[in-house]
Parts: sequence; structure tokens; C-alpha cells
Amino acid sequence: MPETSTSFGDFSTLAVSIPPLPSYPVQATHYIYLRRNTPKIATPDDSRSLYLANVPIDSTEAHFRALFSTLVGAGRFESIAFEQDRKITKISHEPAQAERLARHHKKRKREDEELQHQKEEAAAKLPDTWTRELHRSGSSAIALLADEKSVDLVLKAINKLKKTKKYPVWGEGVKEGVPALGAQWLKTHNKLSYPGNAVVQAVVDAYFTVFNRKEEEAQQLAKRLRNEPDEDGFVMVTRGGRSAPARRDEAEEAKQKMLERQQKKKDETQNFYRFQLREKRKAEQMELLKKFDEDRKKVMAMKEKRGKFRPEA
Amino acid sequence: MAPINEASTTWEKTNRTAIPYPDPKPAKNCPYKVAFEKPIHINVIGSYTSQTMVKSQSNFAVDMIVVMPASLFSEKDYRDYRYFYKRAFFLAYIADALRKRFSELDFVYTNFNGNVLLPILVARPQAQSSKKQDIETQEQKGKPLNYEIRVIPNAPEGFFPMSKLLATGSSIRRNETEDSKDAKLPTPFYNSTLKSESQFVSYLKLLHRATNTCASFRDACILGRIWLQQRGFSGDAADGGFGHFHWAVLMALLLQTGGRKGEPVLSPSLHASQLFKATLQYLASSHLHKKALVLGSAPKNPEAIRQNGPVLYDSAREINIMYNTTTWSAFMLNEHAKLSLAVINDPQVDQFDSLFITKVNQPLQMFDLFVKIKIAPDVARNSPGIFDGKSPTMAIAEDIYRTLKKALGERAKLINIQLPKPSTWKITSSSTITKLDGILVGIMCDSAKASQGREFGPLYEQKKDAARFREFWGDIAELWQFPSGEIVESVNWTEYSPLGYFGICQAIINYILKSRLKLTEDNIEFHGQEFSNVISLSPTDKASFNNAKDAFSVFEKDIRELEDLPLSVRQIASISSETRFSSLRSPTPNQRKQGATPIDVVLSFEASGKWPENIAAIQRAKIALLLQIGRSLEEAKDGIKTHIGLEDASRETENLAFLDIMYKDGFSFRLRVHSDQEETLLDRQTKDQTLDRHVRTEAAALLSSARWRSAILPLHNQSISTYCTRFPALSSSIRLAKHWFNSHRLGNYFNEPLIELFVLQAFLQPHPFPMPSSTSTGFLRTLLLLASYDWRVEPMIVDPSDSLSASERLDISTRLEAWRKIDANMNRTTLFVATPFDVTGVAYTQGIPKVIATRMTTLARSATKAAKDKGIELDPRTLFQSGLRDYDVIIRLSAKAIKGVLRDDGTKHSHFKNLDESGSSEALPLPEPPISALLRRLNSVYATPLLFFHGGPEDTVIAALWNPQLHTRGFSANMPSSFKPTGADSDTFELNREAVLAEIARIGGDMIEKIDVKNG
Repeated sequence: MPETSTSFGDFSTLAVSIPPLPSYPVQATHYIYLRRNTPKIATPDDSRSLYLANVPIDSTEAHFRALFSTLVGAGRFESIAFEQDRKITKISHEPAQAERLARHHKKRKREDEELQHQKEEAAAKLPDTWTRELHRSGSSAIALLADEKSVDLVLKAINKLKKTKKYPVWGEGVKEGVPALGAQWLKTHNKLSYPGNAVVQAVVDAYFTVFNRKEEEAQQLAKRLRNEPDEDGFVMVTRGGRSAPARRDEAEEAKQKMLERQQKKKDETQNFYRFQLREKRKAEQMELLKKFDEDRKKVMAMKEKRGKFRPEA
Repeated sequence: MAPINEASTTWEKTNRTAIPYPDPKPAKNCPYKVAFEKPIHINVIGSYTSQTMVKSQSNFAVDMIVVMPASLFSEKDYRDYRYFYKRAFFLAYIADALRKRFSELDFVYTNFNGNVLLPILVARPQAQSSKKQDIETQEQKGKPLNYEIRVIPNAPEGFFPMSKLLATGSSIRRNETEDSKDAKLPTPFYNSTLKSESQFVSYLKLLHRATNTCASFRDACILGRIWLQQRGFSGDAADGGFGHFHWAVLMALLLQTGGRKGEPVLSPSLHASQLFKATLQYLASSHLHKKALVLGSAPKNPEAIRQNGPVLYDSAREINIMYNTTTWSAFMLNEHAKLSLAVINDPQVDQFDSLFITKVNQPLQMFDLFVKIKIAPDVARNSPGIFDGKSPTMAIAEDIYRTLKKALGERAKLINIQLPKPSTWKITSSSTITKLDGILVGIMCDSAKASQGREFGPLYEQKKDAARFREFWGDIAELWQFPSGEIVESVNWTEYSPLGYFGICQAIINYILKSRLKLTEDNIEFHGQEFSNVISLSPTDKASFNNAKDAFSVFEKDIRELEDLPLSVRQIASISSETRFSSLRSPTPNQRKQGATPIDVVLSFEASGKWPENIAAIQRAKIALLLQIGRSLEEAKDGIKTHIGLEDASRETENLAFLDIMYKDGFSFRLRVHSDQEETLLDRQTKDQTLDRHVRTEAAALLSSARWRSAILPLHNQSISTYCTRFPALSSSIRLAKHWFNSHRLGNYFNEPLIELFVLQAFLQPHPFPMPSSTSTGFLRTLLLLASYDWRVEPMIVDPSDSLSASERLDISTRLEAWRKIDANMNRTTLFVATPFDVTGVAYTQGIPKVIATRMTTLARSATKAAKDKGIELDPRTLFQSGLRDYDVIIRLSAKAIKGVLRDDGTKHSHFKNLDESGSSEALPLPEPPISALLRRLNSVYATPLLFFHGGPEDTVIAALWNPQLHTRGFSANMPSSFKPTGADSDTFELNREAVLAEIARIGGDMIEKIDVKNG
């Protein structure tokens, strides 16, 4: 690849040869484009990670471990993070009350607490229904290597490949443990979709133990905050004061009622004075004229579209 | 003047032109004489002079009358065909002279309006007949070549004695010697033909006067002409015998008279469309087929105008205008007029198209049952029509019509007979070879009445009627006693009941034609059932649908009876097509059968504050509820097994789980819970401007899918279910339409409810046709609807109960316009289908790319064209055949592997030991068909580069098209698909097709047998 191309920039191309399969006996070549990882927001691991564009859809960590060991030998590759794992928006499981409070009242987390939370979250996670995830075609990943030197080595090895044309083979040297795709994969999916009522019950129970506890904590906190001015001297108004705040649906109902009342009042004061009637008639006339004009335009458009009206033969 | 026999022999010796004598040919020893004399006058008449021709006519004829001098005829010539023999001779003379004079023209004989008594001479330009095969290409160039000049000899005005030619009079007396009874039979047709012969000029004057007095008369005539033409009516007896001439005369007469007290029905100051509508109104409200209509002063002797068939009596000219119109076409005319009036009075439909544009004359779109009858030449010999001067085909057709009408009674709503088209013959031979072609009877059934197994006749005590009943039905008439003690005559057809109404009607027709008209079974051929056979629909399916519905009610009751639920149940709604009579396969309770689908049910609770205020937590709470329901159900009832199943969800905020409830030896249900709180939260998120854009779009997508399941589908289910019971043919038409979508591999884009709406719309707005009454018409009409549905600019508004107001309809149209403005290329929204329960118009049609929508239209167009062109010769199976030629990639799946996935081999996957411990050692509850799971994955992985096509569950092929918009492009780190460099040293990139296919092969593994790629 010439380095002149601006868009292509500092990407190097890694060709991977795809072995033919009985159902598709064609020798194909897949191209992975990679470069040093330079994200907008820097992280400590940037120097020893590689950005990979266009990874094959069936990539797994094992696949890349094998790929990198054929390039630069074993032990250089640490882990890989695929696009969909990174991109997923963090979905909050916090109760609304807790979330609202958190915005104002940052609570410092202790490390052991953090660990405890992770454990709880793992227990509350529903089992996967697929043994192996697929990636979107053309998606990217970030590979984390052992050290900066490994990155250089990898890029050098890729440059060398261009001359030798001895491309690594996809899926070669992948150790056992990668679940198969195909019929077995679909079959297991069907099985995994039914993890059993008891398993799911346990997960849900674990989830709500945490959730309820958080809710409880949030309430406690709210209670505490109710009378506590912050550093600027403001007292936060929280739910659960002396008079309970209206529930949302009640509030909506009340709003609806108010709107209705207003409408009724408006209706009553209409069509009473002569000028009102006159104006109304005038408006109706205008409306009719407008509609007529619109219709005429529509007919014109239709005529234009169809050419001439012609009865079907 | 020479005696007829002598004259014709000498004529034929000296000239090569034959004399077109009508049958029967003149007897050898007739004394009367024939000759030629100079005509009194020659005139051009008809629509050419009145300037009422239209471009869309199939051929253009200029009518020219030649009035024969009275001196040729004697007073008694009205009798025994004498006038017609003389006329034929006169015509031959003209033909011979013209042939010698104009060598560049082709001359042929034909019958005037299919009336065998009246041969006429037709002149056509030669080029046209010699280059018949080129006609099509010439038409495309727009060259008008389809014209002809028709020379019509006729009698001088007022020549025949009207009093002798009443409808009750008999003018043919040749059979006196054979049978005295025959001699007295009235010959209304013959008489009317004679009367009409001397009235060409008089009608010409009438029309001329009308054109002068009423400014828009001409335009109204043109409207009428097109209306008739689109419905297949013309003056020719084979096309019904009511053409534009009759229409014009009717209007002209209605401008003078026609009211109850003789006042004019039409006013000359009316606008053309008003004239047209009023005439339609007249045709619709007059029962032509039942009652004689008199225009003008009442005739002196009302009995004298009575005759079989429709009567529209013009008292000024003392003639029945519709003497050449068949009874069935009078029925059809009346029916069409009624339908068109309904269209005019309905502001919701496109009046113009259905009145004038759509071709209504399509038997397959109209009739449910077809009988093709081959007629042996001898059958017509004794038919009464023969003695009235009608052609044998016409005579036998009338007999068949009368017989079928009586035999089928209320089972048939309409019976129409299609006669073979009239032919022309060369002027060198005296008449056409009288070959009796087959005739086609089209019957529109009333499926409710037609499936009645037993035919009840008059009471046994009414001796006269009973005797007539027995005479008609013959041996199979039997007596039947009701529980009340009444004894009636009856005929039993219950043995055919399992075959549905089609089987019963077929049996009746077979029997009655054989016994009354001596037609053998090999002469009768039935059509119309082929469509139902395509997916082997059976009348017993209804019962299994009802079983599914009942099973659902039991399930609903079971849920409602549960006491320990934390929230109170508001609604339990089924949303599966099995419970609305519209699933492709009839529901079977055998749940273990492979591929059996559970009935989807949505459960919503009363609004409650107990739901957590977090969407992810709500989803978990739903699971907890489902688990609780499952436990309680298993405890409360015996024979119920429940399994919680996980959805294929990618986010925690989606619905995460469902509960499968399986009744032992019964149906299984898949329960999902709906939460109001979730909807409120999502709604709030979509409207929250402070959130990120992608969060809002995500929330909007979740919200629409939640509404789809909990609000739209239950209502949809209800309304389809209601209409399936109201319209008997709807259910089977829906199922056939689904099969059509599947067989063209469009089923994975068009969801079932949408297809149901299409079919329902075809039933709700059948204009200009009547409401479909069978599977074939329902299905074909749906295709017709889809073919003409211009989804680019118009919304489809399916409003079964007319609950949308005009302003709401306007809103819907505005919304479509807005969509088209935002998204002019239709990348996101293509079809726009709104219903009263979904006015947004996009809920039903999500995920239909433009290519797919266009393909649907193309396929529907070619199917309707085939139906129109081939008529009953159409093999319905061809409409469901779909080749694989059009696709770029064909993925052939291995049937064995598919079966292997569904089969439970009992072995556990060693990788997940914990699952085995958790007691799931039973067989898989309801496995998802592997193809749909695979397809879903493929769709999500290759959303941009490939478009996948797959038919129903039986289809073992996934076809695909490459996205043509993925051009070669420069590099970007975020590619829409797998790309490769175009060359060794270039910086442009193209789709890496081989690598993508190799990936698919890896995903499919042993599921995929072969991937075929189209070359080039």
C-alpha cells in the first residue's frame, strides 16, 4: 500500500487467507486493516494496542491469539475488545430515585464495595443464549498486546508478508474451546434459550436483592439530605417530604382535566357574538377555497404523472 | 325478378360471391322472388357520425345503411324468413359489385350484432389482414389501422305491419305439418329483428335530436361507452347485446320520458357526468331482468310486449330495444350499475379509476366457479330458441342459463355465460361453418347458502308446485319431514358436503345438465377450485381454527382465575394468526410436531405504582411475574408445563423473556407481559431533549415495538377475526396470499398482519367488482389491489368500520407527504399502511426496503396480467412458482441438518455443565426453527451488503442480492461491510464478496449444503 493516500493514512493491510469449505469451495482472502491505536481520549494502554478494522465476523479471541502467534510468535498477544462490546451503552440499573440523587451527591466508592458490586452484577446477569457471538460485517476491534515492542514487531511482520505473500490462514492453530458454528451452534442456542425456570428465578432474585437494596439506600440518603444544606447552603428538595408528591399518572390526569376545562370554557364563548359567526364563516370559506386549490393541484399532478387517462385494455 | 331458387343458382354460377342466406336455407320450391334494385338512400350512421367514438375502442367501425326499396318486397314478406332471404340476396349483389370496384379492400360477411338473421358486409383495408402478426408492433407505434366499414342493408321505414309483429305473434310457420303445437309458439326475437330493420333512420333521428337539445349528450354517451366497454358489454349478442347504441338510445329516451307519470327522467341542462350517473341510477333501480320496462305511453295491450328475457319497450317505435340482450347480461348490467352507483356514493374510493379505468371484464376476478361446456351439434336442435331465429349456440346457452338458474337458486348470486366471439366469413362462402364452440358459464356463489347440503322445495300439500319440483329434479327428489311435522319436497346433496360449496354446486350442475339437457360429463369441465388446491385448503380448517380459539379462551380463564398475582389482570390478548383464522397452516394441537409454533399472548396488568422506575429493572420484574404465573399455573392445573425462555435480546432494556405454557395434548402458548410503566418511561425518553440522539432513537424503536405488540396487534387480531367470520372467503384468501408472498420469498419482509390488511382491504373496497366470494377471487383481487397500489404517493388506509373521519384521513395523507419529504429516496419508509388503531402508518411496514416493495408490485402486476390474459386457462400454480435466476447468491440448506437441529438427541452440551444440573433434562420445549434463527443472525451481520430472501418454513433455500449501492470507495476505518483493495497499489476499496460468502459458509457450517453464485 502506498503511504500517500490520505484517508488510508497509517493503516497497514493484513491479508488473511481463508481456507475453502465444502459448501463454498473458493479460496478467499480477507483483509484486516490495522494501525497503532490512537483514540481521541487517551488511555494508558494505547501504546501497546492495535486498532483493527474489518475483522472477520466470526472472530474470537482465540482466533486472534493464533493469528498473532503465527505473525510474531506466542506470548505477545494479551486480549482483544470487539466493537460491539465496547460500543454498548452502559445501561443503568439504578432506581430512578438513586439516579437523581447521584447527580447531586457523588458518593465515593470503596474498592471492596466495587468488588462486591461486580460479584452481584455477575450473579444478576441472565445466561447467554448463544455460545458464540458474531460481529457485524466490517466492524472493528482493539487488540491489546504484551508491550510496545510487540506492536512494532507485528507491524514489521505484516510489512514483510507483503513480499513473501505467505499469508496466515484464518482459523489455523486455534486451540480447542472455540464453540463451533453451524447446526450445533443453532441447536445449542435453542437449548440455551430455555435455561430452566430455577436458574432464571435465581438470577432475578439476585437482581432484585441488589435493586431493592439500592432503592432502600437511596431513600435513606434522601431522608438524610432533606435537612442537610450543601456547601452552597442549598437544601435539596427530595421525594418523600411531609406531603407526598403527586404520582406521575395522577399529575397527568390532572393536566388532562385542566385542559378539558379550558377547552370547555373556550367552546362556551364561541359562536355567540355576531362577529364570531361572521369570522367563522369567513374562515370556512377560505378553507374551502384553499381545499379547492389543493385539489386542483392534485389533479394536475396526477395528470402529469399518468400522462393521459387511458382505460385499461 | 326471378324466383329465389332459380335466382340463386344462376347467381352462384355467374359470380364468385355467395349469398349469405340465414339458416334454414330457403326451400327448393319457394315461389317468391328476389332481385336487386337501386337503394332508396344510403346513409352513414352510428357513433362515427355522432362523434362518440373513443380511442380505446378495440376497433373502429363506420356503419353505413343501405335502404332497400319497398318495391322489392311484398306484404307477406315478414313471414318465414322471406324478408331475410331477399335481404341476403340484395347484400350479395352489393358485395359482388364492391369487390370488383375496390380491389384494395378486403370484404367479409359477418352477422350484425351476432344476429344470425342479419348478415352484413364488412370492408377492411387489406394491409391489416395480411399482416396480422404485425398488429402489435403497429399498435405500439400508434398507427390506427383497426378500422372497418360495415354495410348494413335494411328495410324502408314503416314497411312492416307492427300489429303482426307483436312479441306474442308467431311469424314462422314452417313446422305446421310436423307439429301443430309448435306453430303457435310466439317468435318475439324474429319479430323484433324485423321491426328493428325499418327503424335505423328513426333512431338516427332520435339521437340527432338528443344531441341537438342536450349539450352534453355526446359526452355522456362517451362516458357510457367507456363504462360499458370496461365491463365487456357491447351490442353483440355474445357480449351481452347492450352496447353504446343502446346506451345512447336509452339516454335519448330518458330525456323525453321514463318517469312514473311519463315525465322525463333526465334534463337537457345536466352535465355529462350527471347524465351518466342518472342513467346508471336508472339501470340500477330498474329490474330489467324481472319486469318489462316501458318508455313512453303504455302500450294498448300490455301482454303483447311480454317475452322471455329483458324488455325495454320504446312505445314510440313499438319495439323492445333490448331484444338482442340476453337475460344474464341484463342481470350483469343491473349488478354493475348498482356497484358503480355504490362507488359514486362512496367518497372514500377512487371513483374515476373504478368507473372508467379498471378493466372489469375479467372472469377470473369476478366469478368463483366456471363450467366449460362443449356442445354437441345435435343438442340444440330442439331448443325453443331455434324456432325463434336465434343461433344454435345462443339457443342452447339460454337453455343452460334457465336450467342452472333454477337448479342453483339462491346458491348462485350471478350466473354469466360467455359465448364464443362472432366470426366473419369470406364472401365466397354462404355462411360460417356452424361449428358449435364451447361456452363458458361463470358463477358467482353465495358461499354460505351454497354450502347448504339439502335443497328444500315446496310443501308436499301444494300439489302443483310439488309436481313441478319433482318434474324438474327427476328421480332424486324426495320427501323430507321437518320435526314440526311439515313435509316438503327436497333434494339431498349432503354427501358432497365435505367438499364445501364448490363440491355441492359441482354435483348439482353435473346432475341437472345431464338430466335436463342430456349433456354428458365429458362435455362439462369445472374450473375455479385450483386455487384452493394450491395449498390444500379444506372446509374443515375452520373447525381447527375454532379449536385454537377455544383453547385460548380456556387459557385466558385459567390465568384470570389465578389468585396470587401481585397485580390485577387487565387484558389477555392473543396476537397469533392461529387465533384469527389466518395462519397459513391450520393450527394443530400437537405441540411436539416439528416446527409447531406456540400461540403468542400478551398480558397487560392494571396500571400500578409497583413497577420500578427503571426500564432495565422493569424487564427483570416482568421475568419475575412470568415465573410467578408459571408456578401458580402449574400448581393450580394439572397437565400444564411452563418453561421460561430467553429472548434473543441484545440490550437489557428490551423484553428479555417469555413464558411457554404447554397444555398436555393441547395447544401451547407463549406469554409476554406488557407494562404501562415501561411505555411511559420510553415515551419520556424519546421526548427528552437532554438525552443523546442515539439514546432517543433507541427508545423510539423500543417504544414502537412495545406498542406494536401490546396495542396494535391485539386490536388487529380482533378485527381480522371478526371479519373472517363475516366474510367467509376472507380466511382462505389471506392464507393463499401468505403462501404467495412466501413462495416468492418475500415472506420475511412482509409480516403476517400486513398481508392480512392487504387482503382485508381487497374485501372492504372491492370496487368496481362485487365483494369476493371465494378464495380465488379474494386472492386475485388482492393481487389486483397490490398491482395498482402506488405506494410512492398514496397511503393505504384500511378502515373496516369507517371510524376514521375525513380530517384524520387527511392527516394520514399529510404524514405520508411529510415522510416523503424527509426521506425522498424511501430508504426508511416505503409502504404506508394506516388503520384506525395505527394512524402513524408505519407500524405495519417496518423494514421493507424499496427493492422489496418494488418487487412485490412487479410480481403482482405480472400475476394479474397473466390472470387477465389467460382467463380460466390459467394454471394457478404458475403464479406461485418462483425461479432462482434473479438472485445473486443462493444458499442451499441441508434438510438433514435442519431436522437434526430440531430433533432432540438427549445429549447435553458438555460445555455448560451447570445447565444439566438445573433439572432441564427434559426435551426441548418449543425449539425455534433453525432457518429463521440463522436468517436473523445473517440479517443482523450483513444488514448493508446483502438482502436476504426466504420463503416459508418449508423453503430450504436462502437467496440473496448484493446491495448495488455499495460502490467502490475510499478507505474509512468504519466500513459498512468487508472490503478489499481494488488492486495491489490502489487506494480504493470494493466489496470483498468471496470473503463474505466464505464467512457465511463458516457461520452456516454443516447447515449449508452449497452456496451458488450467479456468474457475471
